[in-house]
Amino acid sequence: MPYLAELEKAGIPTVLVDLEDQRHMVKEWALMMGVPSIRLLHASRTLPGPEDVGNWVEPVIEALTRPLTEQEKESSKWEPPHPRILFEGTLDEADDFYQQTQYIPSPVNAPISIYTDGLPIRVPTEERVREMLTGTSHAPDELVSLQSDRRTAAGVSLKKGTVVPFQPSIWRTATVEKVATIAVMAGCKPEQLPVVLAIAESGCGTSTTNNSGQWVVVSGPITKEIGMNSGCGFLNPGNPANMAIGRTYQLMAINLGGAVPGVSRMASQGNPINTGGTCLAEDLDGLPPGWKGLNEESGCDKSGSIVMVMNTGAYGGTVTGRFTPGGYRALQKSGHGGMARRLGVKGIPGPHNWLEYILPELPTTREGAITLVMIPEMAQHLYEYGFKSKEEIYKWLWERCFISIKDYRLRSRPDFITNGWMGVEKTSGKPWKDLPDDYMIPPVDDPSSYCIIVGGGEEERYCEFDGRGGEASNPIYNVDAWR
Amino acid sequence: MTEKERMYKCLDPVGIQESVNTFPLAPRLDTLDGKEIYFSITGEPDITIPLEKKLKSDYHNVNWKIKKTYGTNPVQLSEEERKTADGLIQAVCW
Repeated sequence: MPYLAELEKAGIPTVLVDLEDQRHMVKEWALMMGVPSIRLLHASRTLPGPEDVGNWVEPVIEALTRPLTEQEKESSKWEPPHPRILFEGTLDEADDFYQQTQYIPSPVNAPISIYTDGLPIRVPTEERVREMLTGTSHAPDELVSLQSDRRTAAGVSLKKGTVVPFQPSIWRTATVEKVATIAVMAGCKPEQLPVVLAIAESGCGTSTTNNSGQWVVVSGPITKEIGMNSGCGFLNPGNPANMAIGRTYQLMAINLGGAVPGVSRMASQGNPINTGGTCLAEDLDGLPPGWKGLNEESGCDKSGSIVMVMNTGAYGGTVTGRFTPGGYRALQKSGHGGMARRLGVKGIPGPHNWLEYILPELPTTREGAITLVMIPEMAQHLYEYGFKSKEEIYKWLWERCFISIKDYRLRSRPDFITNGWMGVEKTSGKPWKDLPDDYMIPPVDDPSSYCIIVGGGEEERYCEFDGRGGEASNPIYNVDAWR
Repeated sequence: MTEKERMYKCLDPVGIQESVNTFPLAPRLDTLDGKEIYFSITGEPDITIPLEKKLKSDYHNVNWKIKKTYGTNPVQLSEEERKTADGLIQAVCW
């Protein structure tokens, strides 16, 4: 849309063809780009192309030639208000006010909360927000900005101090006070605010059309300081810090980023990990010797606290394990059961590399890397087997997930990733179209796309989430910078 | 005044939206005949392949130029191309 706005402003008439259910999103972007009247036509999601095109090719031509209406000739200024005080009244009245909904027509056809995630919130009175702000040394009217130099996934360098734009809306910014307001709404305590501010530094993206999942992992001493749960059930409800912090991501996406289903957040189903928010605390005490926590992996020392903010595309989604705990124990304790038979270690006690068991299914059921969330015991088995660091496992997984070009062509993403197979394949340096079908390629950018988080209780379980974006993407934000 | 009747000022959580200057659209063309019109393709080949064919066959007096990617970000006109471009069709945005 920025591109079309540029062309229109330069005197080049345009017409945009989009999918019909995305019309609200297109209109919103067009307004933010200064061309609210952009001419727009709709293609079908279901009609075969030749039949669909016949329906609107003449309107496309007409959109370039029909003279402008008076409205299309207008220039003006859109100035949305942003008062500091949104509501004044009793607490009961404030409850009702913040619980307001708006009806969103197709493709939603349902009421959607304006200020909340659908659940009641803790009303952000001036007094409560003032108390929340005691959790940071940053001034209330300071705009949320990058606390260090960083590079985007697209390779753009951003300097420390760059004001953070909140997504999906690209021109909204936020003060520290607004983040504190949202922290109150989520049910946070002041000592949790530095984590929330570090999450805010990410811009709280939701993606537009994917069923993306947003989740955060806190690593470092702050997890104990603020009473987070990194043990049994840490992915379940119950711990106030995990729950409230997780919830702030979605409340920030909604309020700071303007994420509205059917308007700017077009995920056709959404993602269950977004409901209520998902926040994990890494169990640094549960790491095997020599394994680094996410804080150390990111360059901090052990005394540093970070938050890893993930907004992942769900090309595999969340899997809560591919084997039973009992089957796992039989494998490791005595080399019996189905897992031992699959690994060819019948009768041989462990430690065994349990990743061998899940490995065959990874390339076939995922189109990307994974994050493995495993209990300390299972991490210890991998250490005793021989993996002396997380990085050794990342490399091991990456090397073993290579697939042939023949198989790669049978997936949905490569047409897009390779730009219609017109680009150059990285490992060979040759054009994709010149490579033979049996050439083996890594479907994952680099080993650092994988990630391991240790936490949970004692029942032998692990989870899979989508992986990181590799070296080009840095999802780590420094919590200590926001204390 | 009871606690229930006490009045509170409650803060706005909504992000700060900068004001936006809106512009008129570019004037439309009186005809496409003889004009240099770009067809900027972004993915959805099921639609864009027949669309390209139909545009070229039904409007053969137009000087069609093609920009193409399978991704979501269009291949943009260069500064030189913008000097001579008369119009642009962007399809399909997704």
